[in-house]
Amino acid sequence: MTLTVPSRLHPRLQRTTNVLVREWNRIGSQMRFYATTLGSIPDAVINYRTELLRLIAAMGLGTAALAMIGGTVVIVGFLTMTTGALVAVQGYNQLASVGIEALTGFASAYFNVRLIVPGTASVALSATIGAGATAQMGAMRINEEIDALEVIGIRSVSYLASTRVVAGVIVVIPLYCIAIMMAFLASRAGTTAVYGQGSGVYDHYFNTFLSPRDIIWSFLQSVAITVVVMLVHTYYGYTAHGGPAGVGEAVGRAVRTSMVVAAVEIVLITLAVYGQSGNFHLAS
Amino acid sequence: MHPVGGVVEASVVTAYQLGKPVRVMGGFFAMALDGMVLTFTPPFAWREYLLQTWFVARVSMLPALMMTLPYSVILTFIFNILLTEIGAGDFSGTGAAIGTVNQIAPIVTVLVVSGAGSTAMCADLGARTIREELDAMRVLGINPVQRLVVPRVLAATTVALALESAVTVVGLAGAFFFTVYVQHVSAGAFVTGLTTLTGIADVLVSMVKATLFGYAAGLIACYKGISVGGGPAGVGNAVNETVVYTFMTLFAINVIVTAVGIQFTVS
Repeated sequence: MTLTVPSRLHPRLQRTTNVLVREWNRIGSQMRFYATTLGSIPDAVINYRTELLRLIAAMGLGTAALAMIGGTVVIVGFLTMTTGALVAVQGYNQLASVGIEALTGFASAYFNVRLIVPGTASVALSATIGAGATAQMGAMRINEEIDALEVIGIRSVSYLASTRVVAGVIVVIPLYCIAIMMAFLASRAGTTAVYGQGSGVYDHYFNTFLSPRDIIWSFLQSVAITVVVMLVHTYYGYTAHGGPAGVGEAVGRAVRTSMVVAAVEIVLITLAVYGQSGNFHLAS
Repeated sequence: MHPVGGVVEASVVTAYQLGKPVRVMGGFFAMALDGMVLTFTPPFAWREYLLQTWFVARVSMLPALMMTLPYSVILTFIFNILLTEIGAGDFSGTGAAIGTVNQIAPIVTVLVVSGAGSTAMCADLGARTIREELDAMRVLGINPVQRLVVPRVLAATTVALALESAVTVVGLAGAFFFTVYVQHVSAGAFVTGLTTLTGIADVLVSMVKATLFGYAAGLIACYKGISVGGGPAGVGNAVNETVVYTFMTLFAINVIVTAVGIQFTVS
């Protein structure tokens, strides 16, 4: 028996259009999810306070195998410590090659605050609490727990996604402090203890050029990045599909997207904050 | 239950749990060693190697380009604020070259290889493990390490090396356009400044770094992938752990190789 299918007009054009329309709709549904998540933050804070507290504790300490190596705190501290040490290694040697290695303290106060700590903290957060949120929510979606939540009358977006965004923002406050302290300490230890610069020289240039206003901007930048990272990760977790393999894929896709989005966000915020004048006063 | 028996049982369970990280490390190194030996043991899975190289390149290329441009633009921007302040705007090319070749390119490669490449690889292998495909291979007498892990690790290494080169070129191009067209530094001064402090040795050190990153990330992703257990949550957690462990390992490798390499590059 032969099966006949009516031929379609312009099949290739139709396929391309369908792909474009699907992508366009995906972006739309993503935006709607973000708006709903942000909009139901008050609801989450008022009605799901217990879940919020539980998430803050879980995010700070990490879950499963990550808790064993010290949790999010240790991971973020370790990553910013290595990038802070890079300032000492690269900065000291590169400055020494033009004879101004005394300015390594300045490099630490300048590059750590403006670029390295927000950048490193963003990828560290996306890898730890972000990917963890996607993995948990993806598993809940596959096990149909999210549908069960809806059935018993719990608003799943505010119970799962909004609480995680709020918890992420609260957790990032102490994490940022640890991150920037580790970066400063690693730069200082590398320069003074390993490369043997006098600590007075280092501290002088470090304190001269460390601007509190920059640190506040850098902190706000990290908070803004956390919001976006948590939104992206909760979206991919909430919409995971395709069995156990689908959860893994969703985590990977979420990490990829959030790192790109965080990089773009860092540029935009930096240009907005320092774009006009540079906010850098060498002589004053 | 006898009270003493309960205490003994509890302490055995505690000892078992305390020993878990050690066993995981041991399993990882055993697999890495197996992989190293089997790389040079024929037959080599050429087809899998090519497919995996294409797969990793496909998932990493777009994130790599989209992350290089922001980071190199921002680094150039921050450097240029400093250089214009001390009246050395002509040297912005030098700053861009140091930043891009020595740090941005390797770090973006780290982020992409561990954030994009190894997550995709771990998710793929984890899915196969969950579907018991690896056990089926063992039953058929095929060594999964030789057939799946070795080509993947080598594919990650190849792609990391290639990505590093692409990222350097794209980063420098982005820095060029940003500096010349947005910050109005003369194009000739920028290009001349590029090679003032950065030479072939820096490029080679960066390439060595990228190769090590790819190899380490491939091993970690494959190990987490083949040791997955526990359904959907297990695969998700394995991918999560892969990202965290590769970040930590690769950042540490970066500091060490930079500290060693800088002895050869800075004169």
